[in-house]
Amino acid sequence: MKVLNVSSPHLNQARSLPMLMLWVVIAGVPGMLTMMYYFGWGVLINVIIACSFALLTEVAILKWRQKPIRRIITDNTALVTAFLYALCLPALLPWWATALGIIFAIAVVKQLYGGVGNNIFNPAMAGYVLLLVSFPVAMTTHWVLPTGLVESPPSFMAALSVIFTGAFPDGAKVNDLVNTLDAVTGATPLDSVKTALTQNFLIEEVMEAPVFGQHGGLGWEWINFTFFLGGLLMIFLKVCDWRIPLAMIIALFIVSSLFYTIDSQNYAHPMFNIVTGGTMLGAFFIATDPVTASTTPKGRWIYGAMIGILIYIIRTWSSYPDGVAFAVLLMNMTVPTLDHYTKPRTYGHTAQGA
Amino acid sequence: MSENQQSEATELPQNNLTSPPKNVFEKKAQWTFPGGIHPDDKKNISNQNAIQIMACPETLYIPITNYKGHPAVTDVKPGDLVKHGASLVTSIDTPSSRVCSPVDGLVVSIEKRNTLHPSQLPTPTIVLKTDESSSHFKKPSAEKNLSDLKNAEILEIIRQAGIAGLGGAAFPTHAKVDVATPIKMLIINGIECEPYISCDDRLMRERADEILVGIQIIERLVQPERIVFAIEDNKPEAVKNVEEAIIAAKIDTVKIAVVPTKYPSGGEKQLIQILTGQEVPAQTLPSKLGILMHNVGTCYALKRALLHGEPSISRVVTVTGEAVSHPGNYECLIGTPIDFILEQAGIDQNKLSQVIIGGPMMGIAIANLDVGIDNSVNCIIAATRSEIFHTDQHAPCIRCGQCADVCPASLLPQQLFWYANAKNLVKLDEYHLDDCIECGACAYVCPSQIPLVHYYRFGKSLKQQKNQEFEKSEHAKQRFEFRQERLEREKIERAQRHKKAAEERQKRATTNTGDDKKQAIMEALARVKAKQASSAPKDQKTE
Repeated sequence: MKVLNVSSPHLNQARSLPMLMLWVVIAGVPGMLTMMYYFGWGVLINVIIACSFALLTEVAILKWRQKPIRRIITDNTALVTAFLYALCLPALLPWWATALGIIFAIAVVKQLYGGVGNNIFNPAMAGYVLLLVSFPVAMTTHWVLPTGLVESPPSFMAALSVIFTGAFPDGAKVNDLVNTLDAVTGATPLDSVKTALTQNFLIEEVMEAPVFGQHGGLGWEWINFTFFLGGLLMIFLKVCDWRIPLAMIIALFIVSSLFYTIDSQNYAHPMFNIVTGGTMLGAFFIATDPVTASTTPKGRWIYGAMIGILIYIIRTWSSYPDGVAFAVLLMNMTVPTLDHYTKPRTYGHTAQGA
Repeated sequence: MSENQQSEATELPQNNLTSPPKNVFEKKAQWTFPGGIHPDDKKNISNQNAIQIMACPETLYIPITNYKGHPAVTDVKPGDLVKHGASLVTSIDTPSSRVCSPVDGLVVSIEKRNTLHPSQLPTPTIVLKTDESSSHFKKPSAEKNLSDLKNAEILEIIRQAGIAGLGGAAFPTHAKVDVATPIKMLIINGIECEPYISCDDRLMRERADEILVGIQIIERLVQPERIVFAIEDNKPEAVKNVEEAIIAAKIDTVKIAVVPTKYPSGGEKQLIQILTGQEVPAQTLPSKLGILMHNVGTCYALKRALLHGEPSISRVVTVTGEAVSHPGNYECLIGTPIDFILEQAGIDQNKLSQVIIGGPMMGIAIANLDVGIDNSVNCIIAATRSEIFHTDQHAPCIRCGQCADVCPASLLPQQLFWYANAKNLVKLDEYHLDDCIECGACAYVCPSQIPLVHYYRFGKSLKQQKNQEFEKSEHAKQRFEFRQERLEREKIERAQRHKKAAEERQKRATTNTGDDKKQAIMEALARVKAKQASSAPKDQKTE
């Protein structure tokens, strides 16, 4: 008889890696659908473009590295990276920009470090940041105006046409600021707040603008809510860690409450920070990326909390509207040190590790 | 049952259940250990029927090893006729251990055969042909009275009977009950947390009274302040029977602790943490905390040995798995070949995919089935293909940390994996590889299906190898240093001798006066004369 397992245990009841990754996508679908409701078909088209280029890039690099392509490609990790990356993009971003970011994410940030499990930085965020620093205007001010501000977002054909040709089917160009652009795109709520505050508007005045809803950006409240529900599903299924999102949201809430209490005229309401921008997507889907996050229990509390604090700092005092991507990447750098100093106390040892 | 236990503790007045609260061990807090898993226990495959007696095979195989698997010496030689209970193998290591002959029979040969050791290296083994006419499971003789015996005599009987811990580690029992430190708590381990295994469960259900007698023997030897009988709450029948036996025997020192089911709560360190909230300090034994733990099977074996004079020649083995048609618990003689046991339990060779000795979490998969069982074999699983997990390759670690969440020792399994892979012994020490109990919870939950425990064993063996090399080189270094020291010493001594001789010469040269010289000449002349005088007769003779 052949010995099948060289070593105990002879049981494994884990959800396999491909299934785990698939659950991340499933948990993100409600959020994506909500985004599609507010921003139209462009969201889905972005996802499809990103996923296609992610898989192509991964196959090419694996072939180059002489790795077993079929086994690695079916672990779904590239798919998850592409999916999350695409959800961060403005809905009418030109296809080549989307492709550029994801190729960078997969080829440089993931595969050049040794592939899944070995990358230091979150590939989705690194790809997004590449676009953000390269095309800041397109990434922040060309967001499709959400449903509610406009009667309906661009149709499927319109979105497709803008993404691939840069023009609406009727000939009007999307980057022609004077004409059609104003009708369909604008700055994100976070960007609006930032711009308004620099022009000495007060928060109360800013919030009266039509781009805001009851607590946060119009539509963004619901998008964050659905990502929050997806996140709860992942925690319930033990697909992602619970400490990081909890620590991040609590920290963001505390810091924004602090500044709101000090000066409610110049600092946005804590709830605004929680329900606007990429907070929930970042908390549950991005910061919890196991490869690039801290692995110790204590380290995860610190990691999550520091991301929350950095998000607030970047949103409030930097020139970028949202800070999730930068916060996550900055904290990625600290992970080895964080893990080193937050080792749990082993059974039978003292806290000093003796 | 844990809820029962709690409610009994809190609602004393209304309680008139069969279990009086005085038998319940009351914890000061609801302690537990971190992590742990809840695998499907599959115990009902084997725990439905009473313990059966396994037939005696024609041939028994008894490896000549000590309890750690190291070589030992045999007390017999090929051609010897041995009697039931006669000593076959003795190990003089500390602590010494012994294997007694389970049958009347003939030592056919002593040859190198496969053993159950995971290395699967052939080991010298006694091949014992059984005498068909003798009855192997002797009827219990009348119970002896222990009150006349001294403790030292009882210890000697335990040693002679070859009793070892039947929980799996097979540590010689006589050494374990001969404690130097005062024992605050004696824990009887009836947890049996691994899936599939039910031998302790059946023993507690059927022979609780005898287990209690064994406990009283240990009680007499170690004089513990308190005794706790721990059972997992997935064995309500066992709890009930032990409770009833305690009442029937009117023992008020033994308290029952019903522990919530969680793997690996039966681990010694984990059970101590559950019951006392204390942790055994690293690199020490529970006796440091004044705690001693014995398995229920060992207590039973003690009773058999001391009251019936029956040495440790058999044990209850769970034979289970979906590839056997008669799963259950069988009392098997030590040395009974695995294939014989499986045959008796109705093995279906077509369904059989893998035989596992021990539980599915910590047991070892074996390839050769013509191997005799030893007293550490508590379970044999004949598994079908779908029953056990198997993969040829694993995905990379994604650092999800689920392994760390389930680790009962609060280790960081993914870091240990990384450093074992990198053969980084310094880091393996820093991350406390030695504290890994190899329970397998980490590998069980790993989404990348990495055989983590295998990497830890690899790391541990690397460390051992390194230590051996270190010791060897230390030894060589010491020898070299000794030699250098000796040479140096001899050189100095020589120099001193030369110096001394030179001084003597000098002294003589300077102190020699004329009188001395004359005297020396006279002496020399006298010597010459004497010599001539003595040689003269010789010359005559020769002529």
